[in-house]
Formats: sequence, structure tokens, C-alpha cells
Amino acid sequence: MKIENTKAQMRKGVLEYCILSVLKDNDAYVAEILDTLKDAKLLVVEGTIYPLLTRLKNAGLLNYRWEESTSGPPRKYYGLTDTGKLFLKELTHTWDELQTAVTIVTTQKSKNHE
Amino acid sequence: MNKTVNINLAGVFFHIDEDAYAKLQHYLDSIKRSLNNTQGKDEIIADIEARIAELFGEKVKNERQVIGYKEVDEVIAIMGQPEDYMVDEEIFEDEPTYTQSHTKTTGKQLFRDTEHSYVGGVSSGLAHYMGIESIWVRLLWVILTIASSGAFLLIYIALWIFVPEAKTTADKLSMRGEEVNISNIERKIREGFDDVAGKVKNVNYEKYGKQARSSATSAATGISATILFILNIFVKLIGILILLVAGSVLIGLFIALFTVGTFGIIDAPWTDYVEMAGIGAPLWLIAILTFFVAGIPFFFLFILGLKILVKKLKSLGTPTKLVLLGLWLLSLIGLSIIGVSQATKRAFDGEVITTENLPVTSKDTLYLSMKYNPIYASSVHGTSVKLKYDDNDNQVIYNTNIDLVVKSTKDSIGRIEIIKKAEGSDYKEARDRAQNINYGTKFSGNELLLNSYLTANASDYFRDQKVRVVIYLPEGSTLRADRNVAGYINHHGYDNILNTGEEENFLTITEDGTLCKSCPLSHSDDTWDDDDSWDDENEATWNEEEGKFEASFTDDNDSASKVRIKIDENGIKINNNRNKKVEIDKNGIRIQND
Repeated sequence: MKIENTKAQMRKGVLEYCILSVLKDNDAYVAEILDTLKDAKLLVVEGTIYPLLTRLKNAGLLNYRWEESTSGPPRKYYGLTDTGKLFLKELTHTWDELQTAVTIVTTQKSKNHE
Repeated sequence: MNKTVNINLAGVFFHIDEDAYAKLQHYLDSIKRSLNNTQGKDEIIADIEARIAELFGEKVKNERQVIGYKEVDEVIAIMGQPEDYMVDEEIFEDEPTYTQSHTKTTGKQLFRDTEHSYVGGVSSGLAHYMGIESIWVRLLWVILTIASSGAFLLIYIALWIFVPEAKTTADKLSMRGEEVNISNIERKIREGFDDVAGKVKNVNYEKYGKQARSSATSAATGISATILFILNIFVKLIGILILLVAGSVLIGLFIALFTVGTFGIIDAPWTDYVEMAGIGAPLWLIAILTFFVAGIPFFFLFILGLKILVKKLKSLGTPTKLVLLGLWLLSLIGLSIIGVSQATKRAFDGEVITTENLPVTSKDTLYLSMKYNPIYASSVHGTSVKLKYDDNDNQVIYNTNIDLVVKSTKDSIGRIEIIKKAEGSDYKEARDRAQNINYGTKFSGNELLLNSYLTANASDYFRDQKVRVVIYLPEGSTLRADRNVAGYINHHGYDNILNTGEEENFLTITEDGTLCKSCPLSHSDDTWDDDDSWDDENEATWNEEEGKFEASFTDDNDSASKVRIKIDENGIKINNNRNKKVEIDKNGIRIQND
């Protein structure tokens, strides 16, 4: 078992949640989403995000609009749909639970070691 | 110095070095491949291209700057390897599951391997396709070629013409069934750098891209891939089947065309028939027309089979197809015209009847047998229609279509009726042709010899000429037919009273049939036949002239015991070889036991 694979799996699991979170307050185009995610070191390469965005859009969680750009091709600005907002709420709840659960488990573990 | 290419990436224009272009192209192709089976693939690719365009845009300081290898590498580093684009499908449970598998063989395509060729690279290409050593394919070729006396070479040539050569690296990879991705292509290039480097520089990029895409499609995955794989094999099998059937028919037709007598290689016996039929068109024309009518559909079938097996098959081209189709239609029309004219030439039946007296009275015995002519045949047996030469070296049609009917008559003297029949385009022509039939009979003593054949002038052609001989015999007369008339007796009515199996016997003609005086007991008495008491050693003779009957047979239960029965003018004697006797004569009945 490769540590890299496990790491990637862990990251990928929360990626959707993070993408939806980035778009929670304001619409953004891909490069902006990528910058946020890359700054947070959640994403190493950009490729991963494109299939995810399309999936989320096809699932009705995201929609997008085109905006002209001065420096390059037109940009797709993504935003949350109502379903997306509900979905995000649900995920936030799950994430909180998970975080608590993980914290409990990991701290207990460290206690046992002491 | 480097050649550059202009590209349009998401609507933005870029100059790019040729090698950098190739790298980018492979990269995008690999992504497409890894996104195969992913929904919204085209949209994702468009997004990715847009992003790459954006990244390039950031790197290009002014319009004249060219994108190089370095920039492409940097962009790839940012975007990630093709594997990074794959999404875990479990997240989207309501959509088809996506598991990666490597069905390499489905990506294989048939090419000619000119790098490892003896002749055209067909064998090594096939070997790659079937995944075996090329030596076996070559051996098979040699064997098949010898076995088919060279005809299989035609298939080789057809494959040589229609199967494309593996020119590009991508072609070579598809030929070997390896996946077309960057690492494979790079490895390939490293392997044969000197040879390939030049080719890669001159690669037809559009074709190359298409090639990589189709290969990516065939390297499909998951359940659908398994089904696709099985389907693929099935389709390939059908392709092979079509190819084999069409190929062998074509070869057969080809051989047939060249063996037709006019082409002079082999004198096929049936060319006689065609000549005799007097079709009104030369034999070679009919042969060619038939070849086209039958061959062209099979040729298309052959191409279809090849198309199934070879994806990049060169198309025949519309003009070629139209020419072939036109040729086929013309040949069909030609054959139809010949067929119709042939039918009209045989539309009418004509017959000529000649009757002669046969000096046979009710007291006489007529010996009837068939006679053959040593010029035409070696015996009276066998039926045939042939072109022969008569005594005067004239060509005649020799024909054994002779029919024999025996009837009884109340007249005091017998007669013989000869009915000659033929076909023609009108009644008169048919009659004249029937009149021209030569048929002979010979009566001498009390023996009637019938020719076993008729002859007709070759100029009359074969128009179903036939002769029926009807022999009328007065009631009470006796007929002894030779064994050789057996094949000529008519069994289809006409009140014929001579049955097969009654030859070599003395038959008394009655009002409505015959009475067999000398037929063996085994024929008249079924019980003797059925209980096996007469085996091969048993015999019985009935000598009519001397008025004697003699028979001997072996006891079934005791093979050493033999019984003889003798009936003559003196009486009846029955004895065995163990001194048992029964005698009936003018002195009474005596039974001796011991």
C-alpha cells in the first residue's frame, strides 16, 4: 500500500466539499477556485478539478455563466444552485461530525500511548 | 532552428514549436483516454484546453513569442498527469462505475510491418495481430499457397494492397497492441531513434491524433469494455469468416474463368455442352459475364470483411465502386439476354413418328437387345451427351436419350414405332430438327437390335433431342430382352409391359402384360426368398426346350447335406447325398430311406 495513494484518497474525499465551500459566498471562475485550493495545499495538480466541476454541475449542484476576459479565453464563472446550497449544508454537518469523531479517536489513541 | 505550428486553443491563437506541439497533443490525447467513460468528457476537455490556453497566455509576454517544450512541460506539471484526472466513481453512485483495466488486445489493429518484412510485411503484421510468431504465419502462407496451387497468393496480394503500412509510431504501437500514450511513444522513439526521429518530425498530425483517439476508444474499460471486447471478437470472427468465404469463392471463380476451354489451360468436359447448346454467344463472353455477375458481389463482400478487420482500410473510392456496379449490371443484363434468347430457341416441341412392321407373329420369339457404336462408346451403359466425330469426321452430337416401351397388340404381326423429338424456336424448326435425328434399328432372324444412342448434326445444336422406341408385339408371342436394355426401359407409363428385372427371361405377351415362363422360383415364390433356404450355392434351372427342371440346395441346419430335385419327362426325382430318395415316375412312387 502506497502512502501517496492514501493521501490522495483522503484529499479527494473532501475536495468536493471544499469546492462547494469556496463558492459558498460568491461565484468564482476555475482559476480562482484553483488558487484557493492550491494555497491551502489541498490540490497539487490542477487536472483533478475539471472532472469534479463537470460532475457537480451535471448533478445540479453548480451552475455557471460565461464572462469575457481581457487576457484570454472567456471564463466560466461557477456558482452554487439551491440544491448545491442544501448539499453543502449537509456536508458541513457531516464534516463537523467527522472532525469531532476523528479528533476523539486520534486524541484517545495518543492518550493510550502515554 | 525549429519548425512552428499554429494552434487554436479554446479560441486563442498560439505559435508552438513542432515538438512541443506533439507533446501537447499526446498529453491531451492521454487525458481523453483516461477520461473515457466519464460523462461530459467533451466539456471537461474544453475546460482543460481553456485552462491551458490561460496558462500559456500568462507565459507569453508578447504576440511573437513561441510556446516551446519548456512551457508545455511547465503546464503539464501544473495540470498533472492523465491519472490525476480520473475521478473516483463511488462519489457518484447513481452513475456507472468506473474501474480501470487494461484490455490491451482490443486496441490492436492490422497493419503491415514493413520493418520486419520479407515481401510486403503482411505476415509479420498478421503475426502481431494474432499475437504469434511471424514464422508460423509465413509457414501457413507457404502451405496454403502450395495446397491451393498458388491461388492463395491472390489473397496475399489483396492484403498487401488494402492493409495499410504501419508508418507512424502510433500505428506501430496499435499494430503490436500497445497502448498509445506518451510513455509508450517515448519508449518507442528511444528504441529506434535514428529511424523514427525523422518520421516523427514529418508525422501527419491530424491523422496521428485521430489514430490515438480511436486507440483510446478501443482501450475502453469496465463492464462495457468486456461486452465491447466480446463483441469485438465476435465482429472480428464474422469478418474473418466473410473474408475466407468471399476469398475462396473469388479464387474458385478465378480458377473457373481460366479453366474454361477457350482460355485453353484445361479442357473442361462441360465446355462441350456450352458449345452444343448453340447459345449464340462465344463461350469466353459467357464465362466473363458469369465471372462478373458472381464475382463482383463477392468482391464487395471481401472488402467488407477486410474493412471489419482493418480499421484504416483504404477506401475503394466512389468511381471504382460505380464502375464495378455498372459492370455487374451490364453483365447481368447480358446474361439475361442470352438466357432469354436461349429459352425462346427451345420454346416449341416437335416430333416425327415413323412406323415399320416387325415380322413377329404370335408363335415367334423376339430377342431384343441394345447395340452401341464403337466409334462413340465402349458399351451400351452410361448416359451422356457429347460432341463426337463420326466415320466421315463430321462433328455430331452423340446422345443416349433413348426410351424403350413394349406394348402388346391384337394385330397378327408386330410393329415398331420410332418417335423422334426435339425443341426449337418454332414448331417447324423443332420438327425439322427432330427429322434430322439419326437413329437406327436392325432386325435379322428373330433378333431386334436397337441403337443405344442417337446422333444429331452439330449444326442443329443440343435441343433436347430424344428418341422413343415403341415395340408392339402380338399377343401370344414371346419376348426375350437382353440384360443391356435395363437402362433404357421407360418406367413412366405409356402402357409399357416390360419391367426391369425381367430381362434375360422368356416373356409371353398377353393382352395386358407379360407372363414369365422362366423366371427363377425365387422371384415367383416369396417363401423361398424369405426363409434363406436358398443361399449362394443353391441353384435352379428351367430348361424350357428340353422340358427339364433341375435344382439343388443345401439344408440350412446341416450344411453338409445337399438335396437335388430333378423333374423331366421321366418323372420327379428328389435325393440327397445321404442316400435318401423320393422318386415319382411311371412305376409309381418310391421312397428310399438309407
